[in-house]
Amino acid sequence: MKLPDFDYRKPVSLTEACEMLSSEEDARPIAGGTDLIPAMKYGLKKPRVLVDISCLPALREITLTEKGLTIGAAVTLREIVKSGHNPLLTQACAAVGSTQLQAMGTLGGNLCQDTCCLYYNLPPMTRQALRPCFKRGGDTCHVTKSGKVCLATYAGDVAPALLALGAEVTIASPVRERTIPLGELFSGKGETPQTLNRGELVKEITIPSKKSFGSYLKLRVRKSIDYPLLGVAVNLFPNGEKGVSITVGLTAVERKPLSFTLPPDLSEEKRIEVWMTYLADEAYKRAHPVANTSGYSPQYRREMVKVYVKRAIEEALKKSDEKNLLDSK
Amino acid sequence: MKKISLTVNKETYELWVSPKETLLDILRDRLDLTGTKRGCDMGSCGACTVIIDGVPKLACLTLAVQCEDKEITTIEGLSAEGKLHPLQEAAMEKNAIQCGFCTPGMVLSAKALLDENPQPTEEEIKDAIAGNLCRCTGYVKIIDAIKSVSRGK
Repeated sequence: MKLPDFDYRKPVSLTEACEMLSSEEDARPIAGGTDLIPAMKYGLKKPRVLVDISCLPALREITLTEKGLTIGAAVTLREIVKSGHNPLLTQACAAVGSTQLQAMGTLGGNLCQDTCCLYYNLPPMTRQALRPCFKRGGDTCHVTKSGKVCLATYAGDVAPALLALGAEVTIASPVRERTIPLGELFSGKGETPQTLNRGELVKEITIPSKKSFGSYLKLRVRKSIDYPLLGVAVNLFPNGEKGVSITVGLTAVERKPLSFTLPPDLSEEKRIEVWMTYLADEAYKRAHPVANTSGYSPQYRREMVKVYVKRAIEEALKKSDEKNLLDSK
Repeated sequence: MKKISLTVNKETYELWVSPKETLLDILRDRLDLTGTKRGCDMGSCGACTVIIDGVPKLACLTLAVQCEDKEITTIEGLSAEGKLHPLQEAAMEKNAIQCGFCTPGMVLSAKALLDENPQPTEEEIKDAIAGNLCRCTGYVKIIDAIKSVSRGK
């Protein structure tokens, strides 16, 4: 499959990269290319300029400070796994695709991946048989015939883990840098899943330094290159006398990754069954998988949300070395 | 077009490439290194796996212009002085090859694993080759072949 024509630019600094992305019409950043190149081969994306950010020193660092763990956007998933700094993040990165895709894919690229849909991610000839959907600039949705919006699903593995860890994202632009909670990076729109403006680029992610125990579980048909059909990340922050604070991150069940936290009054109850039931029910309420993927049915995936939340909490508890946390059940 | 210097199997090539040419296009169509296979061409099957700077990557999703100054190893670079690599010998000996289409990618994924971890567990082997699809062997013989080399080290 041939790629469409485009110009290639290789900036030497982050500022130059942002300026290129801002000044060039229809320019896109490229690092590992594992999300963008297949979309270009299918003719779904036809950027006129690709700005190669894979070697920019400002995006390639992992630093551990008092503030927390900061990882550059162009650090590969494999490098994160090998660094082993954060067990939950490591588990999520190791769940992405295959060894090769982990070696190529980057943290920034994984977060900024496009949403997927069975009726969108198709080769040109198959696509021709379908009326253009919302994501292709048309006026219909093949998933829900009466649908008024695009229902393409966000299916990144890393985002739910980072949301559960309370990560922040720093976004660079030609004018200024801004840091926002990771959740605000996602728009919830199937067509344009990220909230980045023209010329903006994810620079780094910071995970606050706070002792916690987490687990990521992924539902998929094969244990190889599959996208998640459901991904659940759970992170437990021991909170001394106040019990525990638990954050759940979900992926592949909506147009953006979701997260929510156990309310403080429940965390003081110190009863694992109460936490589990609340979090599992809450996750079930928020998850709305649709029939836009191969593999399991949306009904099955939604039922599995409850099961996976409970399992992930159990796994995270097993990793906890906080005797008080376990004794207090 | 952009002029790049590409180091493949320790030989350096000066080439004019178009940005839209993938590393796989260059290896197969310009350098005649057809051991690297074009399978799905979409990053799913692993048949185009090559080793770039010691790490297994997919040539079909890698732009050739992004490979400047990088060290690339293809299946042709594995044998030395007319002698096959132990993994290639093991693949033949253990009947880990049927049609052979996935074999170059599989062998290179295994090589990258063993270079980093000479005595992997069966789980680690399965993990390392999970991105290389084989439609003939059922994987058992391939895992046997990799195990036999890892023990031999």
